[in-house]
Amino acid sequence: MAGTDQLSRVFSALADPTRRAILDELAERDATVTELSDPLPMTMPAVSRHLRVLEHAALISRTRSGKWRASHLETAALREAADWMERFGRFWNTSLDRLDAHLAAVQAVDRLDKKEP
Amino acid sequence: MYPDEPQLAISRVLDAPRTLAFRAFTDPDHVAKWWGPIDSTLLRDEMEFDVRPGGFQRWTVVAASQPDVRVRIRIDLTDVADGDLLEGVMHVTGRLPGDIEPFQTRFRVEFYDEPGGRTRLEIRQWVPAHLTGPSTQGWLEALDQLDATLLDVQAGATDAGV
Repeated sequence: MAGTDQLSRVFSALADPTRRAILDELAERDATVTELSDPLPMTMPAVSRHLRVLEHAALISRTRSGKWRASHLETAALREAADWMERFGRFWNTSLDRLDAHLAAVQAVDRLDKKEP
Repeated sequence: MYPDEPQLAISRVLDAPRTLAFRAFTDPDHVAKWWGPIDSTLLRDEMEFDVRPGGFQRWTVVAASQPDVRVRIRIDLTDVADGDLLEGVMHVTGRLPGDIEPFQTRFRVEFYDEPGGRTRLEIRQWVPAHLTGPSTQGWLEALDQLDATLLDVQAGATDAGV
């Protein structure tokens, strides 16, 4: 798993709805900035700025072939962000299962103690 | 102070009265018995608890299967209400398992009475504020959607032998 700085960039990149829309597009297919700008109510330079943020977060990579520069969705960074919280969900559930068992044992001992004169 | 929605919310009912449930989180003898993955052990001698607002909880975890792993937990308690509430920032450092980097995370545990002498825990956890940026609204939702999309993409990629 990447460091928190990298995660920080991922979470902050995902906080923007336009960038999420771009990622949704790229989940379908690689696309150039022109193709990405078409359905969005913004200029190409504005979309380019969003792409730079996504690239910095390693959420996309960009390749140049001829004069077109296509953006490609990189799934690893997104997975890491999701994994981060999933790990904690699992962590709590495992610990709370153990807590359940511990509390049952403690209370069983308490009840035994009370029965003894 | 932390108005944002937590990224993780867990609700759980324990078959124990609230005073005992609270003690299970704040008394080192209790915490040593349950906190952490199944094969982990808390070093009882190294546990230091000072449970009050502004206090702390510190301990070290060793994993039975990975003896070289030593995870140090330090919780700075920001808010404590006896029997009701435990809130703080957990700092996780040390020699962490696998590829996990040291990190910190804010959490809040609330304790509520449930019928039959039971207790409901409401656990919330936030990724650090600097991780989420100024506009966190919806990112988790977005993550879920994208996650679903990506699973499809990855399944496609696997099918294609990539």
